[in-house]
Amino acid sequence: MYRLALRMLLGDRAKYVMLVGGLTFASLLMTQQCAVFFGLLSWTTSHMRNMRASIWVVDPKVEQINEVKPMRDTDVNRVRTVTGVAYAVPLYTGIIQARIADGSFKPIEMVGLDATTLVGRPPRILSGRLEDLRLPNTVMIDELAVQRLSLNKNRPLRIGDTFEINDREARVIGICRTDRHFFGYPYVFTTYDEAMQFAPRTRKMLSIVLAEPAPGWSAAQTARQIEKETQLKAYTEAEFERSTIKWFFLNTGIPASFGTTILLGFIVGMAISGQTFYSFVLENLKHLGALKAMGASNGLLARMLLLQAMTVGMIGYGLGVGLTVLFGIAVLKKGQPPFLMPYQLPLFTLVVILLICAFAALLGIRKIYKLEPAVVFRG
Amino acid sequence: MAEINNNGNGLAVHVRNVSKTFGTGEARIQALKNVDFDARMGEMLMVVGPSGCGKTTLLSVIAGTLQFDGGDIEVFKTRLHELKQRDITEFRKRTVGFIFQQFNLIPTLSLMENVSVPLLINGVRRSAAEKKARELLEQLGLGGREKDLPTLLSGGQQQRVAIARALVHDPKLVICDEPTSALDKDTGAQIMELLREVARHRDRCVIVVTHDNRVFKYADRMTEMEDGRVARVHETYSEYKQDGGI
Repeated sequence: MYRLALRMLLGDRAKYVMLVGGLTFASLLMTQQCAVFFGLLSWTTSHMRNMRASIWVVDPKVEQINEVKPMRDTDVNRVRTVTGVAYAVPLYTGIIQARIADGSFKPIEMVGLDATTLVGRPPRILSGRLEDLRLPNTVMIDELAVQRLSLNKNRPLRIGDTFEINDREARVIGICRTDRHFFGYPYVFTTYDEAMQFAPRTRKMLSIVLAEPAPGWSAAQTARQIEKETQLKAYTEAEFERSTIKWFFLNTGIPASFGTTILLGFIVGMAISGQTFYSFVLENLKHLGALKAMGASNGLLARMLLLQAMTVGMIGYGLGVGLTVLFGIAVLKKGQPPFLMPYQLPLFTLVVILLICAFAALLGIRKIYKLEPAVVFRG
Repeated sequence: MAEINNNGNGLAVHVRNVSKTFGTGEARIQALKNVDFDARMGEMLMVVGPSGCGKTTLLSVIAGTLQFDGGDIEVFKTRLHELKQRDITEFRKRTVGFIFQQFNLIPTLSLMENVSVPLLINGVRRSAAEKKARELLEQLGLGGREKDLPTLLSGGQQQRVAIARALVHDPKLVICDEPTSALDKDTGAQIMELLREVARHRDRCVIVVTHDNRVFKYADRMTEMEDGRVARVHETYSEYKQDGGI
């Protein structure tokens, strides 16, 4: 009977295509929009992947990684003296203007690392040596900087080339790979001391203190100790990531706008598939009534409807997620828009699509349970 | 299932004092009023009467597709009024074959698939069900067309497929609701011949509800209904005509 249920479903081409189309659309919209949203969220915390450290010490008012409230240089030493701190180093981050050979200005995300330890270094160096940053007026740039700061595509920026930052010559000593940042600016790494020269001078310049816990101390324990002894704010990596994402949820309309689109995908999927499947059941009511008269139980008919709904659901889901993956492959090659699809996302979509299908089937099943088999004798 | 002993009196269907009401208040209609009705084994019994007299309602309660308000119905020694809904479904599955006015073949299934449905509902394996369906279609002159869809057939051919579907699981009771009303005279006559064969050559009972007077002559017996009651029972078609029937 289950095979016949599928034959009945596939035989009604128009309804079948409509159902699969609706569920594909819903699945695509939900998965793709969630993936873009997750990608965008991952961009907001990309500083933490591009400058890794166990503990991030910032001004007490700082709630998220992209927010810079400069501290005094002496704060580094205050952190160093805290019990449970193995070492602490200064870090500068800030958006400043670079001037390229044709005279145009491009914004860059400048990162100044402690020259001794180079803690906060980029995770993947593609060419050059990071240690060369200790030479004067040197920078290591990421791939996006190569793209943005080159005069033309045929002659990309390479090691030994120069450009200007704040009227000072910056010589490229290496190229690295970074995770793209929410603001979309390329990363330019240098030493903390050089960053003080490149960046416009202000009263306080220290952005962040990066610290590591001493042996026997956890990052969280050390962070709490730093807060206690310095009155600065100290975050572990995980805490800072959570706090940053929370800040974006509370202070921007991004989650609401993506949430609306995802909800729309759900509602549209539910409406199209629910309505189409219900009308499929209504059109087949005479035949379902005949099957019921012939002795098919409510349970058997309900299972047949569930099978039909789940079949279109799985096909729609497969197509929707497949299209999202194709979209992902295309945009990851290009670098934007943001895209991140953890394995939980397709699972989430699968559950939602199955819920939509169960809802659609339920509408039909309710009708079947109420259907008197004698309906077949009413012409 | 509950069973009674009919003492071998050859009764297939035994209906006593059955009533059925639809709606409530001013919209209340009593479709069956204390109906007494019998059908015998090996006969084709026609239930005739004007529209709205309760023929189809009587057919529905005998077939177990409609619950009735009061009275007793015994079909092949099974007391329907004592069965739970699940047992009535089981009863229909094994005992009753249906032939409908509009054939009710599923348009997206092949003839063979349509015919095999009652066997599949009874839990028969697909290969065995399709084998039997193919044999029956062959017997009814539709051999070689097993894979066709019903929409490719004429009305008479579709009704033959419906007959095959009604008989494929060897039911004891075959219920026919206006089986010829959608067919022309000649095709209707062929279908009635076929149904008479079904009633004669197999140990079963065929009940036909119809107001198509062109086919009355095929009846072994006739039951006339009027206003929710059995008005007259005629032992032959001649008797029906003598009593003023048309």
